[in-house]
Amino acid sequence: MKPILEVKNLKMYYNTRSGYVKAADDVSFVLNEGEAMGLVGESGCGKTTTSMAIMRLLAENAEIISGHIYFKGKDLLKLSEEEMNKVRWAGISMIFQAAMNSLNPVYRVGDQIIEAIVTHEPNVTFEEARERVASLYKLVGLDPKRMDNYPHEYSGGMKQRAVIAMSLSCNPDIIIADEPTTALDVIVQDMILKEMSRIQKKLNMSMIYISHDIAVIAEVAEKIGIMYAGKLVELSDSVTIFKKPAHPYTVGLMSSFPSIKGEKKELVTIPGEPPNLLNAPDSCRFAPRCPFATKECWEKEPPYEEIEPNHFLACFHPQNLRKQVSEYARG
Amino acid sequence: MIKYIGNRLAQILILLVIYVAVVFFLLHSMPGGIEAVLATNPNLTPAARESILKAFGLTQPLPVQFVLYLKNIFTFNLGISYSFYPTPVWTIIARRLPRTILLFTTATLIAFFVGFASGKSLAWKRGKTSEYVSTVVGVIAYTVFTPLLIFTLIWFFGSYLGIFPLNQFLNPDLWIRTNLNAQTIFLYLLLTISLIGLAMLASFAIAQKVSHRVKTRKIIFYISTAIAIALAVFWWAVSPVGIYGFDILWHMILPVMAVTIISYAGTMLVMRDSMLETIKEDFITTARAKGLPDKVVRDKHAARTAMLPVITNFVLSMGFVVSGGVITETLFSWPGMGMTLLDSVLAKDYPLASGALIFTGIFVLFAHLVIDIVYAFLDPRIRY
Ligand SMILES: Nc1ncnc2c1ncn2[C@@H]1O[C@H](COP(=O)(O)OP(=O)(O)OP(=O)(O)O)[C@@H](O)[C@H]1O
Ligand code: SF4
Ligand SMILES: [Mg+2]
Repeated sequence: MKPILEVKNLKMYYNTRSGYVKAADDVSFVLNEGEAMGLVGESGCGKTTTSMAIMRLLAENAEIISGHIYFKGKDLLKLSEEEMNKVRWAGISMIFQAAMNSLNPVYRVGDQIIEAIVTHEPNVTFEEARERVASLYKLVGLDPKRMDNYPHEYSGGMKQRAVIAMSLSCNPDIIIADEPTTALDVIVQDMILKEMSRIQKKLNMSMIYISHDIAVIAEVAEKIGIMYAGKLVELSDSVTIFKKPAHPYTVGLMSSFPSIKGEKKELVTIPGEPPNLLNAPDSCRFAPRCPFATKECWEKEPPYEEIEPNHFLACFHPQNLRKQVSEYARG
Repeated sequence: MIKYIGNRLAQILILLVIYVAVVFFLLHSMPGGIEAVLATNPNLTPAARESILKAFGLTQPLPVQFVLYLKNIFTFNLGISYSFYPTPVWTIIARRLPRTILLFTTATLIAFFVGFASGKSLAWKRGKTSEYVSTVVGVIAYTVFTPLLIFTLIWFFGSYLGIFPLNQFLNPDLWIRTNLNAQTIFLYLLLTISLIGLAMLASFAIAQKVSHRVKTRKIIFYISTAIAIALAVFWWAVSPVGIYGFDILWHMILPVMAVTIISYAGTMLVMRDSMLETIKEDFITTARAKGLPDKVVRDKHAARTAMLPVITNFVLSMGFVVSGGVITETLFSWPGMGMTLLDSVLAKDYPLASGALIFTGIFVLFAHLVIDIVYAFLDPRIRY
């Protein structure tokens, strides 16, 4: 397996009037060719921030403090804006969290996809681009005739599919799908995810799925990264994450959500709130909610280390905690 | 689309009748009308007074006068001006309306494009010093006392630099040697501008049909626009009336500048705000993520969408253009509808005053219609 994307010690902070919001703090992971990875965490833990940093679509007040993002060996953070524009969409494309508003209301949906194609492949004629859009429409289950409609003439699910078709339009190496289905009902959600997974495998693309729902991610991703409060706290293949979760937060996450498949689990939530990322302290950020926190956890940050091959963790007390945490949460 | 325009025309007709009623009764309720003037003139015998009133149709009850008036409007019979007796009001208006249309359409279009372009780049460069400076200048231009601005312009360009004529809308010394009518030249000028406008619209439409590449489209559009303008300039240059057209344009520069300065800032500030809102939209992030060049994101995606509220605001500000017109035309001695309106009200020349008001109203209503149609073209979410 060849790595296609390597994020190394990425720190991206938001500079606000009251201080730095450490939204992506020392995030490192590797995505291999053809691999589907999931990024899971509660709302506000920095999932979107991390993906925006990869696309280098920074908010006005965002600052990349340090780190590297290697895409096919090139550090994206060192590219000029023009060079980066070539990587965008043709190298890495994205399905945004707000897919419903991702389309410009004043242009035809098909034209917005064609625009991406002819920008990156100037030799493609308009007719060829239209044909490609038509076949993409078929691929995602849309009627190609709908190409000439405007976004307001689409339903939510259709917009979602159109946005997926758009993300595929330039044959990217990686697609980042940021909560691609949250706005949809569960049945459509499941269908679209399965389709995306099928297309991804068929075209042998790499994929980063982002969600707050670990059960959803488990169905499509081979590798799962768990984010908590701007930090990647655990990362491994999905089997390991489910069989031998080592971080208390991972265990908590898994019991927070009922699994779609398998035995019915009792729904337990992790007590407490995620911390404020503003001027986050140099302790384990999960300590206030962690039943296993010791003095050490409050005093310094646990390092993010490989505890066994391909299993990364940031916790001072790694163990198979699943059973204990469930019991604790139940009171 | 046809049905939509038809509906709008019907609406305009109803509005017009209501508007005429308001104008008519308002003007007639003003104290010291012509009856009072005649009644206090000691040189008139009661019989003479009666016959004059009868001749002007003033002996009938007011509602009857109104119905007659309404009927007459639709045959362009607006009565006879008191102060330019015996010239019919319609003749005066036909002579003066083109001057106003030429002045205000030119200034408004320039103001819109200047405001649009500057608002767009202001929002794009937000946070820089140039943004603050332009915004402050814009707010000053937006709130400045109109006569002050006009006197400053007249003083600076007309008197201090002496490069533009001080007042009047043409140079009498030049026109005395010809029996040409200024009205004809105004109509020619209007016609030229409309033809250029049509040529631009046509080349835009053709460019859209012919090519899908933005670059090719732009080239087609710019070249045909340049050709249309060159042809127009050439025609005026070789034509014997060219010098008169030039004279009018020369006199027009200062008034156009004044109206432009007064009205561009509104567009600029609204465009800036609208653009700042649009930039936050998700589809702008998408456009960036697609790897589109910065300019394309700004112009094709942000500005194109941000423009819609600006046009709405533009419609709302049309009323100010009219009131500003009265001041501007009077101060520049530009004998158009605004100046006519003021003079006729001061002279208690009801027929002319109501005629001027009504045609200003018709002009504004039609400008609304045009803008509404343009808006419907620009926003696909509008259904006719
Ligand atoms: N422009 C900004 N300025 C300051 N803080 C920001 C900015 N954008 C995001 N944040 C903060 O950064 C943190 C991470 O935000 P992010 O959008 O990456 O979270 P997320 O994991 O995608 O959450 P969600 O599941 O809700 O989408 C949050 O605490 C958020 O409040
Ligand atoms: S480092 Fe300590 S506080 Fe943090 S998750 Fe591990 S045990 Fe809990
Ligand atoms: Mg998010």
